[in-house]
Amino acid sequence: MTRRAQGPPPMAVRLLEWTAGPGARSDAVIGDLHEEFTRCAERSATRANVWYWVQALLLSCRFAAQAGRSTARPHGRARRARKNGDSTVRTIGIEIRYAFRALVKRPGITALIVLTLALGLGANATIFAMIDALVIHPFPFPNADRIAFVYETAPSSAFKQESVSPANFLDWRKQATAFESLVALDWWDASVVGRDEPESLQGFRVSADFFTTLGVRPILGRGFMPDEEVPGHQRVAVLGQAVWQRRFGGDPGIVGKTVLIDREPYEVIGIAPLGFDFPNGTQVWSPLALTPEQSANRTSHYLSVIGRLRDGRRLTDARAEMSLIGDRLRQQYPEANKDRGIRATTLAQGMLDEGLGPVLSLWQASALFVLLIGCANVASLLLTRGAERHRDIAVRLAMGASRGRIVRELLLESALLGILAVPGAMLAAWVGLQVLRGAMPAKIIRFLPGWNSLTIDVRLLAVTGALALVAAALFGLVPAWQAARPRLVDTLKEGGRSSTSGGGRQRLRRALVVAEITLALPLLVASGMGATGAYRFLNGPQGYDPDGVLSMHTVLPDARYADATARRNFVTAVVDRLRGITGVQIAAAVNIRPSHAGNVRRTIEIEGQPIVDANRRPDADFRAATTGLFDVLRIPLLKGRDFTTADRESTQPVAIVSQSLARRHWPDVDPIGRRLRVGSGPWLTVIGVSGDVVQDWFVSRDYPTLYVPYLQNPTGNVAVVLRATGDPAALASQARAAVRAVDTAQPVFDVMTMREALKERTVGLRFIGGVMAVFGGLALLLAIVGIYSVMAYFVTQRTHEIGVRMALGATPGDVLRLTVSQTGRLTIIGVVLGIVMSILLARLIEAGLIGSASSDGRMIACVAVLLALAALAAGYIPARRAAGIDPIAALRE
Amino acid sequence: MSDLYLGEFEQIVLLAILRLGEHAYAIPIRDEIATRAGRHVARGALYTALDRLEQKRFLRSRMSEPLAERGGRSRRYFTLTAMGLAALRESRHTLLQLWSGLEGQLES
Repeated sequence: MTRRAQGPPPMAVRLLEWTAGPGARSDAVIGDLHEEFTRCAERSATRANVWYWVQALLLSCRFAAQAGRSTARPHGRARRARKNGDSTVRTIGIEIRYAFRALVKRPGITALIVLTLALGLGANATIFAMIDALVIHPFPFPNADRIAFVYETAPSSAFKQESVSPANFLDWRKQATAFESLVALDWWDASVVGRDEPESLQGFRVSADFFTTLGVRPILGRGFMPDEEVPGHQRVAVLGQAVWQRRFGGDPGIVGKTVLIDREPYEVIGIAPLGFDFPNGTQVWSPLALTPEQSANRTSHYLSVIGRLRDGRRLTDARAEMSLIGDRLRQQYPEANKDRGIRATTLAQGMLDEGLGPVLSLWQASALFVLLIGCANVASLLLTRGAERHRDIAVRLAMGASRGRIVRELLLESALLGILAVPGAMLAAWVGLQVLRGAMPAKIIRFLPGWNSLTIDVRLLAVTGALALVAAALFGLVPAWQAARPRLVDTLKEGGRSSTSGGGRQRLRRALVVAEITLALPLLVASGMGATGAYRFLNGPQGYDPDGVLSMHTVLPDARYADATARRNFVTAVVDRLRGITGVQIAAAVNIRPSHAGNVRRTIEIEGQPIVDANRRPDADFRAATTGLFDVLRIPLLKGRDFTTADRESTQPVAIVSQSLARRHWPDVDPIGRRLRVGSGPWLTVIGVSGDVVQDWFVSRDYPTLYVPYLQNPTGNVAVVLRATGDPAALASQARAAVRAVDTAQPVFDVMTMREALKERTVGLRFIGGVMAVFGGLALLLAIVGIYSVMAYFVTQRTHEIGVRMALGATPGDVLRLTVSQTGRLTIIGVVLGIVMSILLARLIEAGLIGSASSDGRMIACVAVLLALAALAAGYIPARRAAGIDPIAALRE
Repeated sequence: MSDLYLGEFEQIVLLAILRLGEHAYAIPIRDEIATRAGRHVARGALYTALDRLEQKRFLRSRMSEPLAERGGRSRRYFTLTAMGLAALRESRHTLLQLWSGLEGQLES
């Protein structure tokens, strides 16, 4: 750090002033420290700051201790201090010392409480760190809140946010005044050829002022110039740090050199700063040069648009202005912009995964539940301790101590407990984040902006500290209040005989047990939902056979494969080669394989079924497949025939439809021989009906699907699949080689078995389920400990009573029944309330995770029974002890 | 005589102040002890000792003008009182008495 420190950290100075109190002496001490700080800061400002903090903490401990020592007994001392007009700070210092001593006197309970709180607070800190990194500050550049995401809207579209057509974008750029600059981004699958195998990288073609708009400056070289937006001048690229290090060895002289991207020479003009990979983990940026005909295109919508707000203008201004521009463009181009509007939103809302918010809120809510359960435990422990100090407090009250003062002291103890738990919580959060980081696959991290900045910082510490105090107020208030209002005379009269404590306190403790069960049950149900969901997705029926299949991807770049024949030839050659490999039963290619993250869906028209509402055209998943696809994936062909090599570009256009499509559109007739078309393309004759496939468990299970021959529809996106006679993974390198043999510069990626692909597709859900399972486990553990401690306390309290009962003829069995039935009653109430909570939570999860997880009554019932058994087991141990009480010993006590 | 008794650390602090003369405030005192006696004293311990020695009237302190390099705070300069000097003299005398004649046994 080069920043020169002006003076010591003000917070630390204030701490010192506060603990030292006013006076010339403390002034001199703080002055000394300041002088030494200045000396130290000349060498390193950071080190000086750390040094100052350490010294300030050490010295303030000493000051606090002195404040305490200068008084004989805490109470007299405090009163005297006040009388002498000393600062109240000192009084509080003494009270803190007193509270501290009270905690140290019972190290076992204190440790248990601190541990419980540390777990609860740690869970919250972990999730908060994620929310902070992923939702609050997800973007790796300054002032991200001044960047807006601008998109089109169309009522007919399935998407809330529509991409923007180039001509519209150019008009926006000309007309909008609320933005300093508007920048268009166009997705680019860039394949980079270097020394090694060609590699497919995430790229984006961007307007020239992309870097200046985001306020990011390349660490080497420069960003783009306006004249590089002109076609013919756009062969320049800025590379990301990662690819620069990995492929070019961090060569500092790279600027000015030429690299081959999509087989075209690009001049490297800059290197992006470390950590900058906006958007979506992009590693190569190049100027978006729109040709005259692209610039006039108002009907293809494929650009994303972001803009920096002009100083002094707010997002609402931009929104208003853009909606005006939208009206104008609609009037000007009624054909192309029919029903189209423009909307501006924050970058976070525009770019972040919609599912992220609900999932993280669910986690944060679960973490808060865990903390609440922890608080219930701590409250019940404090009640127990309060009961032990009952007489002590009664005596003090009788001697004239004020109730407020005792409540304050007890609350101070709670606050101290909360603060003691904070370091443990930070440690737990650190461990939690390490685990999360290790569990998250790189593929997903790319789409989680901010993931790499996940860390523990001062803000997290502050939030955790604040939460600790809130928790302390929660668990401390009731016991403190209870403790400070004993019925004086009764308590003093009891003369130390241990008898059942007051009814109110008993009820409170029972309520806490019920609350713990009520809170734990929904968490367990949620984790169960995640686990069963993930299991079903992985192992449930997929509509095809994922075993024994290897798949890989390639994207044919427009630059080289603009010609349809070239694409046909490439795919045919690759499939033929693969079929020649020993160990390959059969191979095929398709534009999108099942469980692929992307999808292609097209509107369709059925012959003889006129479209009623132009905005609600039927649609279907669109698949361009070579022959053999149904054999490789073992998708059953229910009717008609498969594609053959005779279905070529020159022959009649044909299609195979899925059963769901056939049922939806030809419910009563044989679909074979019927015709349909994609958009306004040529009519396709149906030649077969296939079984349904789970494309994606989250959004499209058994969605109507349309298959057409690849030769008739050669797409650029190609997934190659092959069925192996043995282990499919063993064929990976041969499969790669087959593609390379056809085209050396064509990168292949995502080489994996279909099983792996399935696993990868469900990783998000498994991740969510895993985190929920941790929360569920914590909740269960805390609830069991809580029930155990409460029941154990009851038994201790009632030892005398139980002794009397047994002396009067109760058998150990009676006593066991008595105690267990008490646990049982509380458990039943808790479970019933918990089931209600679970059903509510399950609804919420189903709404948040679009059909990915479904609750079912059986699962809730199983979890409820499990929890009830655990609760009874926790209550059984103390009950056994109660049954074993020796009546004579109990009465003699 | 018992009033004048000095612990070892007190002696060290007093001697350091005596050496520093007019410039004795906490920071140079600590430095002096470090260079001369090779001991690194905790700040807190030094402040406590200084306070105690002043309470015993072996030391007297005065505040300087506020100084900018100290964030506008004063220095607290210490000087030995006559009693402080007497106490030092007394300890030296006592120790020398006890040392005399033992040099042969302890030097080896």
